[in-house]
Amino acid sequence: MSRQRVIIDADPGLDDAAAILMALASPEIDVLGLSVVAGNVPLQDTVANACKVVGVSGRTDVPVYAGAAGPLVRGQVFGKYARIGAFSDDLVARGGITPSEENAVRFIVRSAREAAGAGEPITICAIGPMTNLALALIQHPDVARGVRQIVSMGGAFTALGHRTPWAEFNVLADPHAAEIVYRSGVPIVVMPLDMTFQALFTAEHFRSFGDRGGAAGRALYNLFSTFDRSDITRFGRPGGPIHDATTIAWLIRPDLFTSRKASVGTQLTGLTMGYTYADFYQKMDREPNATVITDVDEAGFIDLLIERISLYGSVAPNPKSPRG
Amino acid sequence: MSSIPIIVDCDPGIDDTIALLTAFVSPELDILGITPVCGNQPLERTVRNALQVCELGRRTDIPVHAGCFRPMLREPIYGQFHGQAGLGNTVLPDPIKTVEPKSAVDFLIDTLTVAAALQKRITICCLGPMTNLAVALRMNPQISEGIQRIVMMGGAYREPGNRTMTAEFNVLADPHAAHVVFSSGIPIVALALDATHQVMLKPEHVAQFSNVSGRISQTLAELMAFWDRNDMRRYGSRGGPLHDPLVIAYLLAPHLFTTERTRVFVEHESELCMGQTIADWYGKSGLEPNADIVTKVDAEGIIAFFLDRLSRYAEKAVA
Repeated sequence: MSRQRVIIDADPGLDDAAAILMALASPEIDVLGLSVVAGNVPLQDTVANACKVVGVSGRTDVPVYAGAAGPLVRGQVFGKYARIGAFSDDLVARGGITPSEENAVRFIVRSAREAAGAGEPITICAIGPMTNLALALIQHPDVARGVRQIVSMGGAFTALGHRTPWAEFNVLADPHAAEIVYRSGVPIVVMPLDMTFQALFTAEHFRSFGDRGGAAGRALYNLFSTFDRSDITRFGRPGGPIHDATTIAWLIRPDLFTSRKASVGTQLTGLTMGYTYADFYQKMDREPNATVITDVDEAGFIDLLIERISLYGSVAPNPKSPRG
Repeated sequence: MSSIPIIVDCDPGIDDTIALLTAFVSPELDILGITPVCGNQPLERTVRNALQVCELGRRTDIPVHAGCFRPMLREPIYGQFHGQAGLGNTVLPDPIKTVEPKSAVDFLIDTLTVAAALQKRITICCLGPMTNLAVALRMNPQISEGIQRIVMMGGAYREPGNRTMTAEFNVLADPHAAHVVFSSGIPIVALALDATHQVMLKPEHVAQFSNVSGRISQTLAELMAFWDRNDMRRYGSRGGPLHDPLVIAYLLAPHLFTTERTRVFVEHESELCMGQTIADWYGKSGLEPNADIVTKVDAEGIIAFFLDRLSRYAEKAVA
């Protein structure tokens, strides 16, 4: 099987770290680079965190690019866990990589246009606010042509929001960017809270990361143990979601997920800004633009994430493909 | 006096063309590049028109960088008064000059980054929707340090709109980009319909321009004649408002303009008033001014200014 060529557009972020480490350990995925955006924390911190995560993975061949420092139109909001800031050295060891000179948006434009020219479109996993992607899509029609699909962690449909009563954070933080992406014509795969809330990771799972996953696993253990994401009043049972990793899991094991086609969009103004809708019952006379992932096999997803993180403790990290 | 470095961000367009032709023969201006954007016409056409106008003006030394192919969020709208291909009925030869490989956004970022480092700030002339500049600013906010000021044609304050009841075309075409630019903190001079409707290019002027402009006279007269709105009810006379060229005139003859400093807001949420520009004339917002809005223009002085400039095409040696 040929490896999927993927750009991860991220705002690390705890669950971004899990997603990135999962991707970098997975032989099915060829990570072309990380394009980083402000989101959970300010840009300088998301970039520093991305560099540290790549460093701790041992995959220092994977470039990190700094992108947009804030949303397109609305005022900036940070994540619920913004106090995390830059990962401290005692949580994630200082790594050996620095960000590339090239702007993340330029990297996306360049990669997508090259992919369009070669007729080999790439996949983008969007696990932060989609500002970088929107800025890339506006610039040239070949950007959309060079992207096979955008796998987006974001939105909430039947579930309520987790940053405001109605909105999921990644969409809330830049709803205009989300709308640009949704309407871009690129096939969208949406990982909403409705689904990510179904897979809850507990202290026991974090210990598995730490015990089996080498330096990378210990970093994840440290992060998830320090910042408790469980919410028993909301979820009714112990544990917390690792939203962003569902995008990588879906690329590797789509059979763990259930989906429906729908037309998806977001509210750009007012009190419900960032609220996402999915027209599951074809009320809007619009062609579906998205595959909405509605359900996940919880045990299957948790096992897969632990299995991939465990690779950091057992074998050498997944080598870069001989692309040159 | 050392020349003023400028970048002309535009969507040619008839009035863009007159602005460019004027800038081409103004040695006070150092035109670093032209960055066409989707606006009056689709991008492919504004790029082609820009290349053709460079050839017409014999300024093929100026690089043309293609900009964004669509507005940030809204569906593209195109101009209504520029004919099928953007230059009225005028057909210029296929361009030999080619567009640069670097995109307008990358050109803006790279050029302004150098300008910031050297403290040699550049004036950005915006004659179209401001998508290119907004995208560049969102990619790299530090480039504002390389911008002296933005002199833009767009908006309508006390004057009603020209594309909807409340909106002028350039702002309506990408209101989100205009919002980004007006929120950037960069000094802005705004030439809105309030200013441009004071300067009507009338049929008698067209005859004058035709007489003085030497080797471009036939093309210039065609373009200017096409520009006649023939709408007495709206404009009080024959002719068309000299929108985009006023940006160049403002740089070179600021004494012909009166400005008022105020805070500008861009409506980007309400569909009814989308693209409306609102000026805080009486300090109601409590926010600092972000723009100098041109309120008065010496129309006769402006026509004389352009006659003088465009007569340079009649002289034998034009740079």
